Amino acid sequence: MHISADMLFWIQQKRWLLIALVIGAILYFFVPHPQSLGKDGYHILIIILMTLILILKEPIPLPAIALQLIFWQVIIGGSTPNEVGGYFMNDAVFFIMGSLMLAVAIVSQGLDKRLALGIIRLTGNKTWRIVAGFTAISAILSSFVGPHMVTAMMLPVALTLIRYTSNRGQSNTGLIAALLFSIAYGATIGSIGTPSGGGRNVIMMNYWAEFGSGSLSYIEWMKMVYPMVLIEIPITSFIILKTFPPELKVLDTAVRRLSVEVAHAGKMSWKESFSLVLFAAVLYGWIALSEVYGLGSIALMGIFLYLTFGLVSWKDLSRGVNWGVILLFGATISIGVQMKNTGGAAWLAEGSVNFLQILIPNIDTLRAVVSVALSGVLSNLLSSSATVAVVGPVVLNLGGDPILLGLASVISSAFGYFTAVAAPACTIIYSSGLVKAPDFLRAGWKMAIMSIISLALVGLVWWPLIR
Amino acid sequence: MVATIMTKKKAPFDPKSLKFLTAVSSVEYSKPTLKMGALIASVFDASHGVVYVGERASEFHGSSVNLTRQNLDNWNIIHPGLEVLEWALQELKKLSSDNEELAKIQFNSDHVYEEDGRVRVILPDDKGCRIELVLREGELVDQLRKEIQLEGYDLAIIGGSQNKRHLAHSILQYLPSSIFVLQKFNPRKKYKLLLLVDDSTATSKSIEWGALIAGKLGWPVRTLTVSKTKRFGAGYQGAADKAKAYFDSRGIEVEQFFLTGDPVRTFVEFAGDNHFVIMGASTLNPVKQFLFGSKPIKTLEQTDVPILIVR
Repeated sequence: MHISADMLFWIQQKRWLLIALVIGAILYFFVPHPQSLGKDGYHILIIILMTLILILKEPIPLPAIALQLIFWQVIIGGSTPNEVGGYFMNDAVFFIMGSLMLAVAIVSQGLDKRLALGIIRLTGNKTWRIVAGFTAISAILSSFVGPHMVTAMMLPVALTLIRYTSNRGQSNTGLIAALLFSIAYGATIGSIGTPSGGGRNVIMMNYWAEFGSGSLSYIEWMKMVYPMVLIEIPITSFIILKTFPPELKVLDTAVRRLSVEVAHAGKMSWKESFSLVLFAAVLYGWIALSEVYGLGSIALMGIFLYLTFGLVSWKDLSRGVNWGVILLFGATISIGVQMKNTGGAAWLAEGSVNFLQILIPNIDTLRAVVSVALSGVLSNLLSSSATVAVVGPVVLNLGGDPILLGLASVISSAFGYFTAVAAPACTIIYSSGLVKAPDFLRAGWKMAIMSIISLALVGLVWWPLIR
Repeated sequence: MVATIMTKKKAPFDPKSLKFLTAVSSVEYSKPTLKMGALIASVFDASHGVVYVGERASEFHGSSVNLTRQNLDNWNIIHPGLEVLEWALQELKKLSSDNEELAKIQFNSDHVYEEDGRVRVILPDDKGCRIELVLREGELVDQLRKEIQLEGYDLAIIGGSQNKRHLAHSILQYLPSSIFVLQKFNPRKKYKLLLLVDDSTATSKSIEWGALIAGKLGWPVRTLTVSKTKRFGAGYQGAADKAKAYFDSRGIEVEQFFLTGDPVRTFVEFAGDNHFVIMGASTLNPVKQFLFGSKPIKTLEQTDVPILIVR
């Protein structure tokens, strides 16, 4: 058979798809399922392994990865099409869809200029105060509205400051990195603070409900996790300032010019004011009514109002939302549930506990370590939401308190500080072209240690006090 | 195989119909590449495309990145790739300061057009300048390949990079055009043009291109023919003679060298650090090239001088 350069190129580009299929085929046809695991559970784990390879290497578009998850579950996973479809859409997927739409709706109002003015008034022109202010504001806002929206609004503010900073032709790499990382890491540490801070939080809440593991209300979640956010904010600022010492101690010219620029925005229009009121209503709904109506339905209600009052057009929403991601989350959650139903999750959980028990004899510590390590490592390779969607069912089958282990898993999935792919905020600042991949490593390991210590502190001291 | 150089009647070589593409990555590192790209395009009177290939964000966070970019537009902060393309246009203007048409072209980051998975900068008043500015995101070889196929480029000009050895294989095997890799290129250095001649079909075109470059830039020319044995067959000898005749007919002086040994090692040792190498692309079948490499691939991997591989 003659293989042309075009064919060879296609094979090279799709090699990870072929590798995933070959591994899947070998496991399916030639490796018998373990005696302690049923056939369907084994097949679901094969599908998950193939999917992890595809998500990690992205040889095919994300929506295609979602589609293969659906049909494999029906063809080899022992599920009926209706079962897969039934788990496909739920409140977590509604929430992810709604929060992506809300981000488009709010960012398009131009409220970031008001935000910039507010921050500058708070911080003044000293660099360390600006870095600390960026970290704190990003963390607090992100805990309610998610890191992608906050970073999209904060990045222009930082880049404008950078643009207006004159340093007589000298390099400002320290200042640039400090400002950008304060947004990215601030938004990332904040995203665990409330259920609406990220899709992964809602996915875990959905698993708790689906698996009958108990539940946490919005306020209960905040009570348990927010102290950790508050501990991390000042330490994150300190780490960033020490890792990337800014070349300039004061940004007076830049701050003045930024103030002038944002002052041109004039008074708040009714549209801006009304969009803020609507968002406050959505936030109130999340806090006070989500136990009854779910976070997703409330987010979609907010979008309905934004569309009805003409604050955003459907064209903008459909263009600004990556529907492939929504499809993928639906498919990942459906396979997560199948993993639980077929016993695959319990088998994996039991296996990892038995394997590691030699190293860590205390079962409670072992469960916590498995939960944190699995989520922390995977989230640096995949996205944090995908990590929780896949790891969640395993963690909830480890035994022990599923609420605490689930929270530990969700929190540690936000430890994606090492790479630009893990968290949306990190990807966004990386796309500016002003920070490089090694910068994430330089600060990331310090952030990871700090976060693990903070989690241990909260888990060992705070949680026993309030539960 | 008997040399086919200039023995068949074919359409006259028309440099004006050629299209060259220069890949730029940053203001910091791409200046020599752009300069050489502009020079070579002017030598051939070819139309000149400049492409910036940036990293593509993971699809997971693609919509967040796009949302941020849309918002940055509202703050008049343009895509880093567009900044590089704007710089490239200014550099091209400086390099062709006598080109009045080019001087009139203005860059406007709002005048961009998204098509075929790329962003093209619309340049008003670009009559006669034949300049194209394109932004792409994704894996370098994949994006260059798409751009070359879309626009039918004849030559891709790429800067040498640290991961050159890793890229050499993919670049030479998968880019469907001639390829010029500018490794350690110093615009101030006086290079000798070294033409590697053998009996392959691509040699005839590389002689034509070599003659044009040497004629316009006034560089001294050397041809090198390497045989694994002490005997130089009729094909090799004939190819070298015809190359000399072609240069002679254009009044270009040529020094001929015939060496024995491993071809790639001999090319690399002979090229040293002061030659500008031109060689024909391999005609080996793609699978053999993939598994065992080819002379151009191995030469590119091992040498540190600018190298033009003509397809």
